[in-house]
Amino acid sequence: MNLREQLTYNEASLPSVKQAAQELYTNYGAMLLGYITEVVKDRPAAEGYLADVFSGLSTGDIYHIAGTADGSTYVRLQQYTRKKLVSFISTTDDCANVEIKGNRLIDLMNPEQQLVFCGLHYHGKTIGKLAGELNKTDEEIRQILKQSFNIIRSNRK
Amino acid sequence: MIQQYIDSGVLEAYVTGSASDTEVKELLRMKAEYPEVSVALQQLEADMEFLALNMAVTPPAHTWDKISDNIDEIMLRESRELQQFKQPEQQQEAPAASGPTYIEVEGASSHMRIHKAWRWVFAAVFVLGKIFLACAIYFYLENRQAQKQLIKLETEIKQLKR
Repeated sequence: MNLREQLTYNEASLPSVKQAAQELYTNYGAMLLGYITEVVKDRPAAEGYLADVFSGLSTGDIYHIAGTADGSTYVRLQQYTRKKLVSFISTTDDCANVEIKGNRLIDLMNPEQQLVFCGLHYHGKTIGKLAGELNKTDEEIRQILKQSFNIIRSNRK
Repeated sequence: MIQQYIDSGVLEAYVTGSASDTEVKELLRMKAEYPEVSVALQQLEADMEFLALNMAVTPPAHTWDKISDNIDEIMLRESRELQQFKQPEQQQEAPAASGPTYIEVEGASSHMRIHKAWRWVFAAVFVLGKIFLACAIYFYLENRQAQKQLIKLETEIKQLKR
């Protein structure tokens, strides 16, 4: 039974919500912990946030994340996590001072690309805010972000 | 035009969660309308997964147990709250060791519901009740009047006999 079939909105479905959460955890727990660790820069705290994120998944959340075959389940889970992290913490201003080490993909980006990618992806900043901080236009920020993705893709293939 | 849209960086902003609501709506419309946009978006989502796999950190073995306990606790709490909402005060007595057992079937509510047809019966009973009351008053007054006349006649007869 896939996640979509498991998820029905009734009281009897509560155990299946747990199963669905476990399936998400099994498939994406490690990827998500890597992401959260980069956001909070603290491994034990990241593990705590990971537990909080999965513990707080409601039926509706799981249905939104895993209830459709369209698009990436991981990306939706990551976006959900980012929103939760914003409510947990408010560290959205330390990209310039903190390096993302130990990842060859990020290391391949130049400092400006790292700053933009870090600000948007890990710290949930808006393009407008980042553009203001870096004294650039929204269009320029989008293009720098696009360059960052080009670097990731060129190493994926 | 589509390629220009794809190259604009809006799709990258969407997958990083930094696109505005207007951009997201526009993107979802474009995605539904143009397969090229959908394919480009799939590629970017694959890029994100690739990056996440590269940065993955295996959680400690006990992490799921902790999450599982938290979920159980939340479920138990919600279940209790639901139970309290549905049945505020319902306690069951322990069944007797032997012999027949009785189940309490009386509802907690002090109200009863009946079929709508009964309203005509109640209306008829009300009207008949009024008619009987009017008749009772009428015959009571008639009877009292008759009694008075009878007494008057008896008095007259007595006077005539004298």
